[in-house]
Amino acid sequence: MRILSVWLSLLAAVVVQAQPTFPYNGILPKDVTSVAFTHATLYMDYQTRLEDATLVIEKGKIVAAGKTVSIPANAVVIDCKGKYIYPSFIDLHSDYGLGDAAPAKGNEGGPRMRGGSGNESPKGAFGWNDAINADYNAALNFTCKEEAAKELRGIGFGAVLTHKMDGIVRGSGALVTLGSQPNQSLLNPMASGHYSFNKGTSTTSYPSSLMGSIALLRQSYYDAQWYSRGGSSEERNLSLDAMNTLALRPSFFDAGDKWNVFRADKVGDEFGIQYIIKTNGTEYQRLNDIAATKASLIVPLTFPDAYDVSDPYVSRLVSLDEMKHWEMAPSNCAMLSAQKISFAITSHGLSERAQFWKNLRKSVKRGLSESDALKALTYTPAFWIGANNELGSLKAGAWANFFIASDNIFNESAILHENWVQGEQFVIDAAKTIDLVGNYELKLPKHTYELKVKEVEGKTKASIQHVKPGKNDDGTAKMDTLNYTVSITSVNELLTISFDASDEFYAGMLRLAGDISSDRASWSGRGQDAAGKWLEWSAAMKGKNETEAKKENGEKRKENETAEVIGDVIYPFTAYGSKERPKAETVLIKNATLWTCEADGKIENGQLLIHQGKIVAVGKTVDASKYPGARIIDAQGRHVTPGIIDEHSHIALASVNEGEQACSAEVEEARVVWPEDIDIYRQLSGGVTCAQLLHGSANPIGGQSALVKMHWGGNADDMVVDNAPGFIKFALGENVKQSNWYNDGTRFPQTRMGVEQLYYDHFIRAREYGIANVLALEEAGLKGVTRQNSSLAIVNSPRVDLEMKTLWEILQKQRFVTCHSYVQSEINMLMHVADSMNFTLNTFTHILEGYKVADKMKAHGAGASSFSDWWAYKYEVKDAIPHNGALLHEQGITVAFNSDDAEMARRLNQEAAKAVKYGGVKEEDALKFVTLNPAKLLRIDKRTGSLAAGKDADVVIWTDHPLSIYAKAEKTFVDGICYFDSERDAALRTDINNERARIIQKMLNAKGAGEPVRTPGFKDKKHFHCDTLDQTSQGISFK
Amino acid sequence: MRTILFIISLAIGAVLTAQQNPTVAPAQTRSILIMNATAHIGDGSVIENAAIGFRNGKLDLVADARTIRLAPNAYDETIDASGKHVYPGFIATNSTLGLHELDAIRPANDVAETGSYKPGIRSAIAYNTDSEIIPTIRMNGVLMGQITPRGGVISGTSSVMQFDAWNWEDALIKADDGVHLNWPGVFHKHYDKGKVSVEKVKTYDQQLREIHTFFNEARAYCSVKEPGVRELRFEGLRGVFEGSQKLYVHADDAKSIQESLNFKASQNIQHMVIVGGYDAHLVADQLVANKVPVLLRRLHELPMYAEDDIDLPFKLPGMLYKAGVLFALQNEGDMERMGARNLPFYAGTAAAYGLPYEEAVRSLTQSPAKILGIDDQCGTLEAGKDATLFISNGDALDMRTNAVTHAFIQGRSIVLRSKQTELYEKYKQKYDGKK
Repeated sequence: MRILSVWLSLLAAVVVQAQPTFPYNGILPKDVTSVAFTHATLYMDYQTRLEDATLVIEKGKIVAAGKTVSIPANAVVIDCKGKYIYPSFIDLHSDYGLGDAAPAKGNEGGPRMRGGSGNESPKGAFGWNDAINADYNAALNFTCKEEAAKELRGIGFGAVLTHKMDGIVRGSGALVTLGSQPNQSLLNPMASGHYSFNKGTSTTSYPSSLMGSIALLRQSYYDAQWYSRGGSSEERNLSLDAMNTLALRPSFFDAGDKWNVFRADKVGDEFGIQYIIKTNGTEYQRLNDIAATKASLIVPLTFPDAYDVSDPYVSRLVSLDEMKHWEMAPSNCAMLSAQKISFAITSHGLSERAQFWKNLRKSVKRGLSESDALKALTYTPAFWIGANNELGSLKAGAWANFFIASDNIFNESAILHENWVQGEQFVIDAAKTIDLVGNYELKLPKHTYELKVKEVEGKTKASIQHVKPGKNDDGTAKMDTLNYTVSITSVNELLTISFDASDEFYAGMLRLAGDISSDRASWSGRGQDAAGKWLEWSAAMKGKNETEAKKENGEKRKENETAEVIGDVIYPFTAYGSKERPKAETVLIKNATLWTCEADGKIENGQLLIHQGKIVAVGKTVDASKYPGARIIDAQGRHVTPGIIDEHSHIALASVNEGEQACSAEVEEARVVWPEDIDIYRQLSGGVTCAQLLHGSANPIGGQSALVKMHWGGNADDMVVDNAPGFIKFALGENVKQSNWYNDGTRFPQTRMGVEQLYYDHFIRAREYGIANVLALEEAGLKGVTRQNSSLAIVNSPRVDLEMKTLWEILQKQRFVTCHSYVQSEINMLMHVADSMNFTLNTFTHILEGYKVADKMKAHGAGASSFSDWWAYKYEVKDAIPHNGALLHEQGITVAFNSDDAEMARRLNQEAAKAVKYGGVKEEDALKFVTLNPAKLLRIDKRTGSLAAGKDADVVIWTDHPLSIYAKAEKTFVDGICYFDSERDAALRTDINNERARIIQKMLNAKGAGEPVRTPGFKDKKHFHCDTLDQTSQGISFK
Repeated sequence: MRTILFIISLAIGAVLTAQQNPTVAPAQTRSILIMNATAHIGDGSVIENAAIGFRNGKLDLVADARTIRLAPNAYDETIDASGKHVYPGFIATNSTLGLHELDAIRPANDVAETGSYKPGIRSAIAYNTDSEIIPTIRMNGVLMGQITPRGGVISGTSSVMQFDAWNWEDALIKADDGVHLNWPGVFHKHYDKGKVSVEKVKTYDQQLREIHTFFNEARAYCSVKEPGVRELRFEGLRGVFEGSQKLYVHADDAKSIQESLNFKASQNIQHMVIVGGYDAHLVADQLVANKVPVLLRRLHELPMYAEDDIDLPFKLPGMLYKAGVLFALQNEGDMERMGARNLPFYAGTAAAYGLPYEEAVRSLTQSPAKILGIDDQCGTLEAGKDATLFISNGDALDMRTNAVTHAFIQGRSIVLRSKQTELYEKYKQKYDGKK
């Protein structure tokens, strides 16, 4: 049986299924045969493998598959002895067939200019924001793209879920095969809904930050709810219509970074949606947290190249996490699988498709089972998209989507020969069906050579070794071993061989042509020698030894891989992370000078007991008899203070300013806390235990703050303080007026006068919103209205408006304001606004002219969180003085000193000392500026801020007087957990060095082995200040 | 007594002309003796119970009070400084004080001239003695500064000024002490979407060639004593070639510093100083061998790399000291002018992280004086040198104890007031009046 010729003829035999409704020009071809693939190893599904089995397909579908399948009479039979047949793969993350460029806004699907925050009027009955493309329909834009399809088929894919990767709501996705006929390929035109946090090409200025994207997506869901409850009678909005249609389909979220997985999942939870989340391959870095989301993941196989670390100075640009990720990325799938996290694999993001198999096989070497790998490419994606009867297996009735391989596809040498899509044959690598590998006797007229043909990484390599007798200089006989590299190519069954001989029989290039015998055991033909003389040649196979050797090599390589040492995941996944996070301890601190920040004042030679995250007792002596296991710390000569609290910080955030609109009350910093910021650890080293992470000052009404404790190594939820009162950032002055922008601004307000009006407008609207809400609820309650029995109240109830809701919370005294402010006029103004709207401004932050209106602030009841000695960085701080804190303090105002600066935050104790220096505040009171007072301003003084029994064990042990420049934090406890310890810090430094050294050696080896390497360059985050703009570099570095 | 009266009248005057800088102190006419203070000499030594005398602007006595005898009328005035500390006036190197007033206000900015190669740009003539920031700096003990232009490849020529003068001419301690060359970065930072990426500068080699070309041409030009056609750009490097001016090379990473040292050799530069020097500790041996000192970048900053020791910037002075590198502290960076009053605390941090205390004092006194080439005149408490010094109630390197009660510049008793103290007193009166 000559397999090859049958396969070739089949190409003509298979009739591409025609569209019945289409007219046909010519004699109509009909699909009247079936195809039987016999003697194959069949993967019925990811876990069922049948040897010597038969697969029968007809009219694009699988008719039967199994060991006892009878072959229909009309079948074309293909002998697949030795071949492997797998259901072809499904990629759920694709934009196949939708055009190369993102569709231009304003043209696609009718007029789409929908206005922004400017003055453009909306065109078309769509929503206001271009990033919400709910109405985009992938199916309407789909067509078969042969180039792209060919690439995907070439690595085993047969179907993809395609969607437009642009915008926050990306519209519907279509399930399509990789066949050649759109009408056949489109399996499900409305298969899915797609979402992301990336606004993409949207020209609407809002959102400009991650937290803005989150808020916009949430608001869109709420708007859609309102719309379906009856909002459509007020406004026809095709975007919201489409949002509701999408919500009925499986929802796919393109999240990327692991932290975005949690952010997306949280949005999903709010609306009862479990997203299927596309990741970026870093999930192994937080496996337990990922598992806890219960989200299903779509995982890429993008593994980074090694860095060229041959220069010791330049290699410093490669961060530890980049090094570790290089090493660990290939283990991601194996680790997800071991954690029983449900995932599918996508080929998306690979710079070249050839990496797919390399990386998938690498994943398998790292411990992903072959069946789990297959599952993630067949069963799982098919199941999620509701197509498991059609795709992902070889069961009868499914689409004839499968590929044929030369071997178990996880073997390095396996070759993908053909990929069949809906019964349509696509040849990938047919030439490889002729196996030339072996040892041959190559017989030429003058001599018979030993020819060895091997296969190395899919390429045929041939060589001849010839021993030539010769003479040494002294005349004795010797043997010279000559190695000829032989070029050998085969096209179908025709061979071309050439090599450059230089021995006693032939000299110069020999060129041979011939063909392969039907049993493939021998070759024969004619050729020419170097002189152009024709000759006859033949070759006979002596054995297949090289194939064995090849396999041995493969196995040896496999052993090497298993022996590979892989580092540990550290928490957080950056420098100064550790394998095990420290735990809460029972600790008795003795012989310390305790600065209680309470009525007790300073206790010399005091004791402090910590248990289960709380301070149990503080005093001259404490009863620790109940805690015999307590770790005793002798703090002789040491000072102990409450943890430093930074009222104004921008560390540990993925975004700071949603600066496009004058009011962005809807955005929340808590949703973008970034727990891997090295500054968390650095601040622990300066005794900081707690910080308010504030929105920036680009707008009069900024976003909601996150109150965090420095749980280094935890996730965002670990850091965000539970049940803490909500805060929001306001801002006044030059930043909100955009005074120091390079160009003149156009956004309202541009003067302090406009700022006042903006506040009134928003608070009055918020009051109306709140009252309407309350009325609607009361009405619904009074009349016993429920969703079921009357739609009236629900129709009339206002939509959830996240912006207004937040402002209403302020009016209800459920949320508190920290206001960025400098000059006395505006401070006074805002207090008038608050007084007239019947709420109190909790804190003025910066407040550098607070000393001018301290009496008024006292009367209003506002606190102050200031800088110790900053001034002269812009016009509005020309009158700032370092005595500000002291003057405010003397007027009875609760005063804090804050950082607004990632560096200074770790020296806040020194900043407090400046209140003593400038203005003569008592030392114990000055320390309160960075402990108890910020706790009061943040309304968490009942639980932290001082050393008192029952409070959180946020405690610092200092080597010296805490207000002195010579004081260093020796230990910093957060909720009783010692996150910073100077001794442990020294050990971590060694760990970092050792781990880097180990991986650098490995990278150098990789480079030596010829793997591609990247030039080092490092990426880290920008240190945020108040007016750092998130997605532009226009931020000016003034405070 | 007369002095006291004078100060009081000055204070009143200052209040009347609210928010004006205090009057410049007149030349020293009466000799002054400071007794019993702990004197930090600036050269690494300390004298407990010191006797420090100065007249006509110059120190004429620095001794252990227990070892000397003075005639009762040897000095016109005696200040009892028992329990207090005396330091030589601190020197702010690589400073832009007087070149800018309010960061965001463009008209106030004279820090960086446009253009790339401009050694002829001279900071001295733009130095604003009436800057309202300068009096606030003096109050913490910083009494002199090297005023330095910024920007471009060669940013210009710095001058050393003292901080109590009617005009820039009077303020000069040393005019045109050196030319500042910003070494092209091997890597440059690129900001995008909150991420900072550092990439290799593609034009680095090109920039380097340009610098070499400029210096080669300038040297050729300067080797002609009186050129017929004058080229001002090249003229500005004459002092550097002749050795009368220093070449300050602003460079931080190890490779740039090494290349700078090679540049020194190939261009035969006599006096080179590295400004910045984050990686100086990695190439300390070469710096010592080439006798190149360092004006070390600001201490109160975060490490450049997440992997660095979290206290690396704090430790750098101690490390350089141990390696034998001559260095001084400076604070170039965000809010550097108003922040210059915190320079003493940089030295305090250095002392907390491995630098011996008197060496920390030295890093703001004798070391910068040596590096700037003014050590024959100031930088230490030694007879014959300028009486530029201050008295602090406590350790001046610790903000907890820094409390400057007297400061003298060239013997002149300067007024320790500022716009900020005026405002403080004005509003204190507002609230005190209410009580």
